[in-house]
Amino acid sequence: MHLLQVGAGSGGIVVLDLVARDPRVTRVTLVEPDTYKPHNVYRHQFPPAAVGRLKAELAAEWVREHRPDVIVDPIVADLTDTTWGDVFQDFAHACDVGVCAVDNEPAKFAFDALMRTAGKPWTLGEVLSGGIGGWVHRFVPGGPCYGCVAAHLRRNVTEEAPAPAPDYSAPGGVVAETTVPASRASIAVIASLHAAVTLDVLATIHQPGANQSVGASPPFPPREGGPGGLGGSARRSTPTGADAATPPPAPPPEGEGSKPDFSSLLFTLAVVPGVFDAAYRPYRFAVPRAAACLVCAARPAPTGEELDVALDDALARLGDN
Amino acid sequence: MGLLDTEFGKRRLLTVEVPAVEAYNRGRDPGFGITLNRVGGALVLSYQLKPCHNVYRLETRLLSSYPTVPPETRVLTPLKHCAHLLEGQTMCLWRQGSTRAASRWDPAQFTCVFAVQAAWRWLACYEVWHETGEWPLPEAK
Repeated sequence: MHLLQVGAGSGGIVVLDLVARDPRVTRVTLVEPDTYKPHNVYRHQFPPAAVGRLKAELAAEWVREHRPDVIVDPIVADLTDTTWGDVFQDFAHACDVGVCAVDNEPAKFAFDALMRTAGKPWTLGEVLSGGIGGWVHRFVPGGPCYGCVAAHLRRNVTEEAPAPAPDYSAPGGVVAETTVPASRASIAVIASLHAAVTLDVLATIHQPGANQSVGASPPFPPREGGPGGLGGSARRSTPTGADAATPPPAPPPEGEGSKPDFSSLLFTLAVVPGVFDAAYRPYRFAVPRAAACLVCAARPAPTGEELDVALDDALARLGDN
Repeated sequence: MGLLDTEFGKRRLLTVEVPAVEAYNRGRDPGFGITLNRVGGALVLSYQLKPCHNVYRLETRLLSSYPTVPPETRVLTPLKHCAHLLEGQTMCLWRQGSTRAASRWDPAQFTCVFAVQAAWRWLACYEVWHETGEWPLPEAK
């Protein structure tokens, strides 16, 4: 199995360590542009002596030390850098599963586009500001894209305490929300969940004859009475109280053990007034595809040369005369 | 994932952005519509806005990484320097934090015309600020 991972920060390295130890993984491609900095030491696996080195190389060495039989390709690049587009596309097509462990929105959308184009399943982990909890999402071909999930959660879930107003008088200054760091423990909990969900996806792929079944049918129908039902509500909800939590799923029928029953998993790690009313509580969300999503909704369009001609015509129509 | 050189980017332009621009232009006074031109690997929207008393010329640049990366809008008409104006008279519009809550640009819900409307709002704020010294958007200092 070939794993394509983007991000080897404090969470990404935990996911990589846990997933790459799985004997089914035979190859890892890791995309990470950053250098290991002094402020990373507190939350990272690597020692202070590694400061100044590339995280991609450090992570590759880590994997090779623990799994010498695994082929590791470290790529020092930014996922949103379109000059690497062809390289990323090749790896996305070659991989079996993707892991996204980045902490910026453009990179999440970029990875989503990459994996959806390649038709491969992928997972995403997000630690909430201050380490109060975190998300693990899983995406499959034909299911909701990251844009569908993000829009749904923005409308229906309060996941963070209100941030201070941005200071536009200092556009290059420190952004307040990044000054609330999560602890290493909270990052490790969410990253471990992320790894577990990724291994679950791997198991689905690994089942004999199940390779294409990951996205073969609408994978996450909203569950009646579960959080997916909040999608039809206009009110903005916090995942507090019993109405937001999906009851524990019944054991799957024989032969359906790997069918996913959620697209997004929220795990709380702290009580935060107005946000989470209990710590250490999981919530499952079955987010549906959004019909109006500008990223993944089906819109008829020509392909190949006809697409080029149609676009050229449109731009000529709208260009300077 | 280049905007102008991949199927993904071209489909986005043809099925989302072009129809949005055409809808914006429909029935609009001559000179205030959007024109679209290729400039290298980017697509540039050129247009004028008149939020209050003055007419401003602007351009919004959809970079090769659009829509993943937000568009960049700059005002071509000379402005008085203010805190919300970045280098090259680029508007400070899309704060991209590390989380969904902290980020403003959403490629799943916004088109380039949304960026034009955001520019209109920015210019309206600019004119108020020019007269009063106060930037009226409540969330901005």
